[in-house]
Amino acid sequence: MKNILIILISLFLYQGNASALVIGSDLNEITIGANFSGQDLLVFGAFYSDPSLPRDAKGDVIIEVKGPPQTVKVRKKKSFYGFWLNNTEVTFKEVPGFYYLTSTTEINDEILNKNNITLLTQQDTNDIEWGNIRLTKDRRDFLNAMKRNKNNLDLFSVNNESSQIDILDGNLFKTNIPIPNTVPIGDYTVSVYLLINSELKKDYSYGFKVKRIGIESMIHNLAINYPLIYGLLAVLVAGLMGWISAEMFRRLRKA
Amino acid sequence: MNIYLPIAELSVNIFIILSLGGAVGFLSGLLGLGGGFLMTPLLMFIGIPPNVAVATSANQIVAASVSGALSHWRQGLVDVKMGMYLLLGGLFGSFTGIWIFKLLSSAGQIETFLAIVYFILLFSIGTLMLIESSQVIRDRIRKKTVKRKLHYHNWAHRLPFKVRFYSSNLYISVIPPIIIGYFIGILSATMGIGGSFILIPSMIYFLGMPTSKVIGTSLFQIIFITAFVTLLHATSTFAVDVVLAFTLILSSVIGAQLGVIFTNKFRGEELRALLAIIVLTVAFKIGTDLLIQPADIFSISTIKELY
Repeated sequence: MKNILIILISLFLYQGNASALVIGSDLNEITIGANFSGQDLLVFGAFYSDPSLPRDAKGDVIIEVKGPPQTVKVRKKKSFYGFWLNNTEVTFKEVPGFYYLTSTTEINDEILNKNNITLLTQQDTNDIEWGNIRLTKDRRDFLNAMKRNKNNLDLFSVNNESSQIDILDGNLFKTNIPIPNTVPIGDYTVSVYLLINSELKKDYSYGFKVKRIGIESMIHNLAINYPLIYGLLAVLVAGLMGWISAEMFRRLRKA
Repeated sequence: MNIYLPIAELSVNIFIILSLGGAVGFLSGLLGLGGGFLMTPLLMFIGIPPNVAVATSANQIVAASVSGALSHWRQGLVDVKMGMYLLLGGLFGSFTGIWIFKLLSSAGQIETFLAIVYFILLFSIGTLMLIESSQVIRDRIRKKTVKRKLHYHNWAHRLPFKVRFYSSNLYISVIPPIIIGYFIGILSATMGIGGSFILIPSMIYFLGMPTSKVIGTSLFQIIFITAFVTLLHATSTFAVDVVLAFTLILSSVIGAQLGVIFTNKFRGEELRALLAIIVLTVAFKIGTDLLIQPADIFSISTIKELY
């Protein structure tokens, strides 16, 4: 399993106090089998710079993980004669199915926004179907509601205030990214950004996959590609289980 | 221990699923009811998406009704002809039901719809059962015996297209069974239930069928309706989760057999009073969820891409 992936970039690009990074991950694939209940992804790396420099000058690191894009509908309930029913609806397209962000130090939103390190980039926000939601404040409510609800499902997490990254002896860093059991299937990107004095100096990224294996993958493929056969099998096996159990218990009772 | 559900796309504790199936199975064995009307809302309570809960519950009922129908079949207590007419209506009803289900799903109202219909259903079943069983208990205490009519002659006997049902000793129009079947089909496809608790009284009061044949015939037609509903859901909502269904079946068949054993140990009316209380508790939970302002008035749903 420990398929160590190491990306070595810009080793020879020393410029002044600028550092280079080495980053890696313990997995290049997360597999969903019958007993999958979530998994941690270890992302680690090293600042590749002059060891005599103080810690601050080596810069700060932001780690961002993005899952495959999905379409998400956010609905707002309204009270109709005491009953809480879904009323207005906004459709967000191209939302990463999983989003995780953490950094070695507190990084303000301005820097993140300036560098497009966010759940929805400018280009993605053009894909939102706002319906009849026109006010900026209302729109922000919907966006925040989506983040909050995804956060409850462990599919959205921004930790740019409290760092989840461990720094070892000043040069090495590592972090565990919790991948929950509700994680969507598809291609993921891990991006690591190096900031020095609040300036983005470098960014590196690499991908990993989340995929189904074994029986999980077989069942899912059958259900999607051959739904009629899948349905017939489901009915047949259920009927058989009912019949066998009735027979079994009838004999047990006779004996 | 966790088990990953490939269609619901989440992992659940297998012991929760096993005990849920076992408990619902036990109650259905004890009381001779299908238990689908408890299974679907309970699955939703533990976080299974509503479409998966409905479709998978239908799949589970196939096994439960096969298991139950067999013993009635052996004793010759199934009116196949009547079952076929009910089924005919039921097949059309399931198509209508799936259409309603998909319409409400895309409008984002399926959860509210299920909550309202389940509330009405569970509240009325629970109340009726509580009244009926407490009356029987009261009559027993007062040592009264209630005489019941054996056969009802009503509008069902005056409609055209009359057919002779030898097994049930009836000569009635085929229109009422088809209409009843149609409504059961709609309920089955939208709510993931067999519908025996509506079907059985309708067969007695509207069709005038003999009580001895009612349960077997209802189970017989539920096998085919729920099988058909499972197929329709598998091909149109893609929400049948066989891992969940088979786990539920495994525990519910064992629970049902235990329930049957316990039947002889208790009085029927006391069991029905107990079930009435359970049903009313579930109804109360669903009702308050509808009426109390939710903690978050926003909710999200992800459009599943099929690949």
